[in-house]
Amino acid sequence: MAEIQKTWRDGALRLSTLPLLLLMGLFFVIPLIMTALLSFQGTQYYRLVWTWDLKVWTDVFSQIHYWTIMWRTLMMALVCTVLCTILAIPIAYGMLHRLSRWSDHITLLMVFAFLTDAVLKTFGWVLFLDRSGVLNGTLEAIGFPPAAVNVLFTPNATMIGMVYNLLPYTIFTIALSMARIDGDLVLAARDAGASRLRAFIEVTLPLAKPGIWAGAVLVFVLSLGVFLEPKVMGGGTSPLAAELIRQSFETRVNWPLGAALTLVLIVIGAAALTVFGAVALWQARRVAHD
Amino acid sequence: MTKSKGIPMFSPNRRTFLQGMGAAGLAGAGLMPRSAQAATSMKFMCWEGYDSPDIIKPFEEANDVSISIDLITDSPGGFAKLAAGAWRDFDVVATDSPWVQRMGPAGIGEFLDDAEFADVYESFYPQFRAPFAPLDFDGKTTGLPTRWGWVGPTVNTKYDTLENWRSYAPCFDPAYKDKICVLDWGDWPIMPMALYAGIDPYKELDDAELNEIRLVLRALFKNTRAIVGDLSVAQKGLMDGSFRTLIGGGTYCTSALRKDGQKEIMSIVPEPKDGLKQGIIWMEAGGIVKDPVDDAKAKALLRDLTSPEVAVKLAWTEATCNLVPSQKAEALFTDEQKDVLQMDYMWEAWDKSHFHNVAPNIDQMLEIWSQELAAAR
Repeated sequence: MAEIQKTWRDGALRLSTLPLLLLMGLFFVIPLIMTALLSFQGTQYYRLVWTWDLKVWTDVFSQIHYWTIMWRTLMMALVCTVLCTILAIPIAYGMLHRLSRWSDHITLLMVFAFLTDAVLKTFGWVLFLDRSGVLNGTLEAIGFPPAAVNVLFTPNATMIGMVYNLLPYTIFTIALSMARIDGDLVLAARDAGASRLRAFIEVTLPLAKPGIWAGAVLVFVLSLGVFLEPKVMGGGTSPLAAELIRQSFETRVNWPLGAALTLVLIVIGAAALTVFGAVALWQARRVAHD
Repeated sequence: MTKSKGIPMFSPNRRTFLQGMGAAGLAGAGLMPRSAQAATSMKFMCWEGYDSPDIIKPFEEANDVSISIDLITDSPGGFAKLAAGAWRDFDVVATDSPWVQRMGPAGIGEFLDDAEFADVYESFYPQFRAPFAPLDFDGKTTGLPTRWGWVGPTVNTKYDTLENWRSYAPCFDPAYKDKICVLDWGDWPIMPMALYAGIDPYKELDDAELNEIRLVLRALFKNTRAIVGDLSVAQKGLMDGSFRTLIGGGTYCTSALRKDGQKEIMSIVPEPKDGLKQGIIWMEAGGIVKDPVDDAKAKALLRDLTSPEVAVKLAWTEATCNLVPSQKAEALFTDEQKDVLQMDYMWEAWDKSHFHNVAPNIDQMLEIWSQELAAAR
């Protein structure tokens, strides 16, 4: 079969990308440019003043607390991504191989939970984890001291909320990836004497990598913007970047500062994704070389 | 009065454009609702309670006007929206009084003639009558007071005594570690802490004073279990005793619980410390946005919101119950309502409080809050 070489000189190809280009231009590039332009303005009497100076950026780079919050956000996002991935791999594998009979039911339940409003779920966790909540009540009933679990309004509670709300993204992408693995390859590995664990590590896991990467990237990007979990479950004492940006825009009515912090968060996210991509590429090349 | 300047037909604002398009479409389809057939359409930005059909519907019918509501969840956000250009779409706003006052210098509000509202002021308690400084800008009135209350510790007397909270000192007592809940409501929690530090936050502050505020917030965060923006989370903790007090909320987070029969929950104002009052009076106000579509009807809405009959409805809503400036309304409240609203305590609270106003250094204080919070854990 002859391979068709696509080139940007092809008018039909250019035309077919036009809707996507328009969409991206209108709803991504232009807003991003406007956000960048906004960051060079000032405010007076809580109104935007077109000043064109670097005051806001000087503030951003001279105030350590912005970077403390950005760093905390990055770390929380990384931990959340790792936790979601570690939890999702056995769940996805179990759904497909060990609990395949109930796979559809489990998927349906997960979709139901996934589509339930995040506010409702997060407040549900507050009732569950509270000192006088369901968890502590149950523990007390079986002999534990009162308020044995004191996790609500801590960064750990934020992490529980983040993992709970974002886990389905990794489960579904990894499950999809695993479902496409040729079962004969695993059987061949077992025939060659590999244990079930070894077959999983040497065959299933490497072949599921695209799904694992996709899930990790999705969760990482979404983790950078979490707002509800640190505010409600974390008790607001360890604010993350989204809260900082909200405060700049709303409470302080400082839109240029909010715009600058938004750009900083986007750059941090993009830089982290570039590192992710570079690692993935390096690993793929190493495997190909071996 | 129309918002369009110059040649109106060539300079429509977004509202007139959308209204025209919508009306044309609906009329064409024969689906025009009755309210849309009103002579005037107005847009009202407000807090919950003001949107009650009990308040809006009778006004619409009496004035041949259709009102669309835009509910706000935080006053600065509402102001920012107006200042960013949405003032062209709105007619009346009811929000926290400093933000109504700020509409003056921002040039997005209409000034009111006190003489025109003389009868309204006459129905108010003397404390709210003209000339009313908190809503004054440059000698001109920016709005009319609508609801009020005080900011002080909110206490569940089932778990703690009011005596303990005659001062903010327990906020810094290790015995109260992880038992304090601070409400993340903009500058509301900052002001009481500044007052406790011996600083009047409503005057121009120097670096040393700002540093004192930094230190007191740092100490507060050490004892704080949660900083919440959501009222229900704060109220739940207060009811089950996991929070001994709510700081920065006051009557706004008390009255709905008291309405539900939980009279053990009260908001008080601490005693003056070193000659400095420790309480804060918050107030909501109604103002007219610059160039309303119908100036007379916008004024009529303000007049309606401050009338004794409507003031009672405004005081007694599903989510919160609050005091109103109308003295004439007091006679319309039942004894139970007066008890829920802690009306027997209101003037004591007033006497021990500063009026919440535009603080000159508010942005620096919010930045300090943000800095100390980032470093807290």
